[in-house]
Amino acid sequence: MENKGFFQTKEGGLTIAFIVIMVAFAVIMAGLGMESGTICTIGFLLIVAAMLYSPIKVQVIDRLKKK
Amino acid sequence: MAFLPIIVLLFLLIKCGWGATEAAPVGLLITILTGIFVYKADITLIAAESAKGIWNALIILLIVWTAILMYQVGDEAKAFLVIRNGMRKLLPNELLLVLAMGWIFESFLQGITGFGVPVAVGAPLLIGIGVAPVWAVIIPLFGQAWGNTFGTLGAAWDSLAMSANLAVGSPEYFQTAFWTAAFIWLWNVIAGVAMCWFYGKGKAVKKGLPAVIIMCLIQGGGELLLSQINTTISCFVPACISLIVVLLLGRTKLYRDEWRVDNSPIMNRDFTEQKSEEKLPDMNLVQAFVPYFLLSAITLIVLVVKPINSLLGQISFGFAFPETSTGYGYVNQAVESFSPLTPFTHASMFLFVSAIIGLIYYKKHGWIKAGGVKRVFVKSISMTMPSGIAVIGLVIMSKIMDGTGQTVVLANGIADVLGNIYVILAPFVGLLGTFMTGSNMSSNILFGGFQMTTANLLNVNAAGILGAQSAGGAIGSAVSPSKIILGTTTANILGSEGEVLKRIIAITVPATILIGVILFVLVAI
Repeated sequence: MENKGFFQTKEGGLTIAFIVIMVAFAVIMAGLGMESGTICTIGFLLIVAAMLYSPIKVQVIDRLKKK
Repeated sequence: MAFLPIIVLLFLLIKCGWGATEAAPVGLLITILTGIFVYKADITLIAAESAKGIWNALIILLIVWTAILMYQVGDEAKAFLVIRNGMRKLLPNELLLVLAMGWIFESFLQGITGFGVPVAVGAPLLIGIGVAPVWAVIIPLFGQAWGNTFGTLGAAWDSLAMSANLAVGSPEYFQTAFWTAAFIWLWNVIAGVAMCWFYGKGKAVKKGLPAVIIMCLIQGGGELLLSQINTTISCFVPACISLIVVLLLGRTKLYRDEWRVDNSPIMNRDFTEQKSEEKLPDMNLVQAFVPYFLLSAITLIVLVVKPINSLLGQISFGFAFPETSTGYGYVNQAVESFSPLTPFTHASMFLFVSAIIGLIYYKKHGWIKAGGVKRVFVKSISMTMPSGIAVIGLVIMSKIMDGTGQTVVLANGIADVLGNIYVILAPFVGLLGTFMTGSNMSSNILFGGFQMTTANLLNVNAAGILGAQSAGGAIGSAVSPSKIILGTTTANILGSEGEVLKRIIAITVPATILIGVILFVLVAI
């Protein structure tokens, strides 16, 4: 059986998503501090991207792979 | 439209069978879209509410991760196997042994760790004493439920207080804690009697009733009492005391002799204990409990000794947020320090310190083998992340719903349609939230603000409604698919979730109706 590294597993992927969310948090706080809508938008988009990792992987990519 | 994110979340979880980690982000996406396009929120408001959600989720996740770390330390050292064998020697009465291993020990674990750990740990322990696998999952689910609100050092309770904006120490805070603990006590009694009934119908109820009464007085009664003093330890302390008392009960005239119901439907009498494939460590029962003793001592010292608490509580930090408003004029006030975290008096710090000292202690005695430390940390992160992303998604969803005014619209709609009858449904909302999300804490985050707003609109006792929400959420932890799966996985009966659920619903639903009716009679008539 193929021995996967931690970051190749779903849990590893979710850990990366979590780190991205933490980065996004820092970006939004910086954006709010500087009153910059653009920076807030970047942070917000990072959150959306990281949050959608799991549903896209499980419900789209993995299903396509099975087919 | 305000109900759309919740409908989609329910649909994905129940109808489509998605996990919370996949369903929560979709629910969040819909909340964001309705917030922007229907409630006219700008991107700054959405980003600010998202950041508030992340911050709140992070504080919760600190507890989740450290609780799981603590469990992994014990698991790696095989301390739970030692606990199983030790308890069997101490309790010759089989009914008391089942209650101790399926209810009291799970209560203790729930008081500290939670997040499904009591079910995951309890199921194999019960199988080890001869309980049939399906029942070895059902009994811990019942046994741990009462500790879900105030357990994990009050994580779900703190979430309720946070989402309903209850100021810590205020009269409303303690009134809500009172209602919650009172309803949970009722469930505690129902669960205790039910477990005896499962074991041996009327004969076992008769034999076990004195023990159940004593345990419920300690657990439910103790929690009610302590909830008026310190909510963080209001489950943990009674759970610890009940663990000691159940061992003492095993020495009393009533329970010290061997006793069992031969044709007990939950016991597998053909069971012969397999010769353990794994060699047990040379560890005694007291040594197996070392991290938990440490946790008890650290928690009590930091929370109860005022000078230490004041000193450690001086370090606190939170973030400032600007005022935001929607196109319809719904305003979120600016805050100087949003939900400040006091790291040295936070439950996660007690769990972390105890887990690390426990790890060092086990390693020093040679019970943690080479590579074990790395395994403990990797496993704890692997177990935390799926629920972590779900918690972040749900908390952000709840914050955006609140911040864009969707929660208020939803509460208005329900109050208009149902009126005071809603009161009966209040605990079901809590149960539904836990069923959906797998956690009393997430249920409280998701519906705490909504229940508070609805109660205010209906002009009924908000403390009672919030109490019913959290008690319903606690009961819901017994029917939560994610917790059932944890049990069926460790009991090696994956796929039997439907059978487990069917048997549990027969008691949880009537119990939840009873709470709703009691609340209705007390506050709405």
